[in-house]
Amino acid sequence: MSTVAFPTLPSRRYGGAVVTGMSEVEEEQDDGVRSLAARLVAGDETALEQVYDRWSALVHTYALRALRDAGDAEEATQQVFVAAWRSRHTLVPSPHALPAWLIGIARHKVSDVRLARSRDADRAAAVAAQPEAHAVVEAADEEVADRLVVRQAVEELPDPRRTIVFLAFWEGLSHAEIADTVGLPLGTVKSHVRRGLVTLHQQLEGVRRESR
Amino acid sequence: MSHVDPDRLAELVLAPDDSPSDVRRHVESCSECAVTLAALSDVRRLVGEESLVPAPAGVRDRVMAQARTRPPPADDVVRPLASTVPAASRRGPRIPVWAAGLAAAVALVAGLGIGRVTVPEPAAPEPEDPGSVVAAADLTALDSDADRGVARAVSVDDMVTLRVSARELGDEDGFHEVWLINVDGTRMVALGVLADWDTGEFQVPRGLIEEGYRIVDISVEPEDGDPTHSGVSLARGELA
Ligand SMILES: [Zn+2]
Repeated sequence: MSTVAFPTLPSRRYGGAVVTGMSEVEEEQDDGVRSLAARLVAGDETALEQVYDRWSALVHTYALRALRDAGDAEEATQQVFVAAWRSRHTLVPSPHALPAWLIGIARHKVSDVRLARSRDADRAAAVAAQPEAHAVVEAADEEVADRLVVRQAVEELPDPRRTIVFLAFWEGLSHAEIADTVGLPLGTVKSHVRRGLVTLHQQLEGVRRESR
Repeated sequence: MSHVDPDRLAELVLAPDDSPSDVRRHVESCSECAVTLAALSDVRRLVGEESLVPAPAGVRDRVMAQARTRPPPADDVVRPLASTVPAASRRGPRIPVWAAGLAAAVALVAGLGIGRVTVPEPAAPEPEDPGSVVAAADLTALDSDADRGVARAVSVDDMVTLRVSARELGDEDGFHEVWLINVDGTRMVALGVLADWDTGEFQVPRGLIEEGYRIVDISVEPEDGDPTHSGVSLARGELA
């Protein structure tokens, strides 16, 4: 199993003012997702390719964590995107709808696979006897989905914030170490980490809202 | 004092020692900012663990190839379990937009009548109804042999009707839904909801049972809009 390598740090050093508030880049990204969704709804196959390229790792990782089987996860991923294409006319284009929708379809696939597995009578009986165990599984799925949405949101941050947030949260570097690594003042790094956290929160809230 | 900027709340999460005391004081007395602070702390807890695992090479090509072919014809009612999604009409407005579309897209039962609850009779099915019983299943609990009622497949004219008369399904929250599972264990179809909790009638296309859809399953479904089987079965029996 391989993980997505985080892009290697660019050799150039960053400069310029730290953007506060919702950046223009983020607003452009929202517009980008909206028009991507609109093209998908209209039946543009290249939109499906772009949707796949952008969110297939999210869907695949979710299926992998939930099903704990590489073959089932691969199959589920394929089915999610085919189902997404065939039901594209129902997607309401909004910035967070696409990932929320894909995760929703992935949830269905995951529960279908689990159900198929539970045809083993003993396991089905165990599930039937322990409804709370089922609830625990669902809650764990939610948490995995949240973590992956957040991880995906990091990918979509404009650099250098993406790199800084990744180094801070996933690599566990101190702010001073990050400042050294990316060649930015300490205060700038701290500001990017704060703004990054706020943006990840906004993205997660957006996807959760669309999932309801 | 007006509300605290989210940026300052993020600072309070990330570096509480650097945070000015007026921010802290405001949050202690403002529920709105406290909620945002809790949400940001939650995100802080979620970061740092997962990494994304790309789908294996080849999936993309298979997705695009399938997208370019037309979906199977509508009379291909029965689909592999893994892509089974029951009809949108079963759940009405509770289904989120995407789920309804998913159901429409895979066109599992649309147009064939299964998946629709026939108008529930006020009382249990009357024994003197016309038609002959072609198969019956004793329903039992899954974790014991406790009696949970009976399901009968009755042939009337050109249609087969499954009459379910269940009992003691428990009082777990949610609603009771009837499914037919293929004996091959890989496919299933949703018939519909037991509108009055433990009895109901469902039309089944002729031939479905002969194809192997003989296991009657009653699940309890939370009202969460998720149209797939909850995984919690209250009763089962095989039509014979
Ligand atoms: Zn406040």
